[in-house]
Amino acid sequence: MVPDVLIAIVVGSIGGLIIGAVPGIGPAIAIAILLPATMFLDDLVSLVLLLGVYGSSMYGGAIPAILINTPGTPVNALTTYDGYAMTRRGEAARALSLAYASSFFGGCFSIIMALIALFAFGPYLRDLGALFGQRDILMAAVLGSVLLIAAHRQTMGIAAMLFGFGFLIAMIGRQTTRKIDRFTFDIEYLYPGFNLIVVIVGIFALSQALNLMVGKDDDPPEARLTGGLLSGFKELFERRLITVLSACYGTVMGIIPGVGEFVAQFFSYSTARAISKEPARFGHGSPEGLIASETSNNAVPAAAMIPLLALGVPGEALTAMMMVVFFDAGIKPGPDIFENNPDFLFSLFTALLIINALVLAALLFLTKYIVKMIYIPNRFLGAFIMILSFVGVYSIRNNLADCVFAIIFGYIGFILRRLDWPLVPIVLGLVLGSIILERLTAGAGQIKTAVDLINRPVSGTLFVVILMVIGFIIWTSIKNRRESYQ
Amino acid sequence: MNQAQVNNSDLLLFDEALPIGDMNSPRGFKSECIPDKKVKVDDLFKFRRGRGDLQISIATALIALFFFFSFWAHTGWGDRKLPDEMGTYIAYQLGLMDIEVRVVRFGRILKQPWVIPMLCLLVLIPTAVWNMQESFKVYQWRKRFMLPTSVQFELSKYVAAFEFVAYFILYTFFVPVLGYLLSTMFLGTYMTWRLGYRNWIWVFRGALSSFAIVIIFRTFLQIKTPGSIWIYDQLPTAFRTFMLTYF
Repeated sequence: MVPDVLIAIVVGSIGGLIIGAVPGIGPAIAIAILLPATMFLDDLVSLVLLLGVYGSSMYGGAIPAILINTPGTPVNALTTYDGYAMTRRGEAARALSLAYASSFFGGCFSIIMALIALFAFGPYLRDLGALFGQRDILMAAVLGSVLLIAAHRQTMGIAAMLFGFGFLIAMIGRQTTRKIDRFTFDIEYLYPGFNLIVVIVGIFALSQALNLMVGKDDDPPEARLTGGLLSGFKELFERRLITVLSACYGTVMGIIPGVGEFVAQFFSYSTARAISKEPARFGHGSPEGLIASETSNNAVPAAAMIPLLALGVPGEALTAMMMVVFFDAGIKPGPDIFENNPDFLFSLFTALLIINALVLAALLFLTKYIVKMIYIPNRFLGAFIMILSFVGVYSIRNNLADCVFAIIFGYIGFILRRLDWPLVPIVLGLVLGSIILERLTAGAGQIKTAVDLINRPVSGTLFVVILMVIGFIIWTSIKNRRESYQ
Repeated sequence: MNQAQVNNSDLLLFDEALPIGDMNSPRGFKSECIPDKKVKVDDLFKFRRGRGDLQISIATALIALFFFFSFWAHTGWGDRKLPDEMGTYIAYQLGLMDIEVRVVRFGRILKQPWVIPMLCLLVLIPTAVWNMQESFKVYQWRKRFMLPTSVQFELSKYVAAFEFVAYFILYTFFVPVLGYLLSTMFLGTYMTWRLGYRNWIWVFRGALSSFAIVIIFRTFLQIKTPGSIWIYDQLPTAFRTFMLTYF
């Protein structure tokens, strides 16, 4: 078992680096494609493989962002502003070194915080688990839904609409207790409902494949990399305040469901600029700007696992995909995990720590080889993403119809990408909708009146938080509207 | 806008200089015009409705309405079980009234198959209509300022994508006929050629990449592919078994 796990860590880490470094793929697509394939591996091996991809892709994404002004993953977009500016000044190696060191610090910081939280609060969380009933998890899922919509600051209405579509897709199928078919239109394929992986592969992987194939190939400039890659750690220590603050932002934002890397980066970057002695340099090759963006975005993945593990509520698409792996491994995320699977939790975060260390070591030696991957043409890449998606989707249920529906979802996702509409709400609508439906059905016997939904300590508190978030959304909308009129 | 306001509120991410110096000079010309827009950090996260947005917004609103009209026949609404006096029941639920007779548990109502779809539609339809309205406002604004509104380019991309959708569906149907190895190699090589990489090096790379995918996923990881392959059924038994197992 141990050699398999170690191989999975190495393959996942190096694979994630390459996936992150190649613009146009990203961890979501890679995990969507690999997810069904990993069902054939041992549970821990598949989990570690996917975690490796998840944890290391953002390291790799910084490479093209800095060298050729093209983010490898969407969350590295902010890195291009300072990273590429440094490259233009002839400081590419320094920028990469800073990015690696910042990512390493951010990743390790959030993992260590999570481990400390588990050690310190583990016993209390086990007791807290007893307070979580069906209605409490239901409220947590509703809160996750509201936060997801609120996190799409500029596209809240569209996010809510797409979330509604995702939720409705989760309803399609035969309700087993009363044998009523919801929106199946007598199509036999729809009786068991849509498989989550079919939708994920379609919406993320196939949509991107189509997007790349109808687009043009980028013509990236030649990247020249000279100099050492170790100076970043010294500079990181010299700017430790910004580094630690950025890591804190990433960790806190990662814990809040629905928020994610973009918001973490935004706050981190803005704060770093506010406290910097040279704010004018931000956007023009400021090392502090680079530190702020890379530290915060790499602190999110480990922290994002916490709401998933603690409440069983995924806060973003990647953790939603991870949830499928957990279920397949017989591990049920939720408050009971602290009592039933404490060793699993420590193994998970320890594996993440090893992945971060391994990735850093690999980058110090392999950067010049990984740089070559940047030049794979987009359209060629799109074709092979499409080919890879088939095997992933077919292997779920040995059903060719899954492949056909995957490409249909892929086409829908392609249109959404062209319009710059968010994709994540559809997937999370499907996931959270299933959770809400399951918990509501399971807890219905205890609900005599509407007040019973919120009269428990946890569900009541979560309900108050939901109302506060909705109130905040309404208040900011009114405020923005007034400002736009002025 | 003065220098202090610019420094505090705008993060300038490009090198162009603002003509700010003149604005505060006592003798200088004070322009009422807003300076050229510079990229701000907020702009990185800004959403702008592009061409095609209105048409797709209309389509999503129509899909939402389709689900609305399907709701009544496809969710068990016809078999719904609700209290006879809904007004009294709602008042009881809100704590405004007390009822002495036996009351239907709220959970039993929530469990009915039409409830959650109805809640979905209560979110979906207003947001779809709102989105369509916002998109229409942007469209009108673009028309008013004579900005391009034609969707021809977008439509051409949607149609272009259909071709690749068709390839994928054809591939899906050919795998049970030709097997995973042949189908994948054919698709990978053809797609490389079709996408414009027509010299032999690229075609070879396409073929090699397809072969690598088959080896990694089918041969090593033993990912499931269709079990009955027409072309393998024509082979001698031993060879057929080998091909079915590893390719």
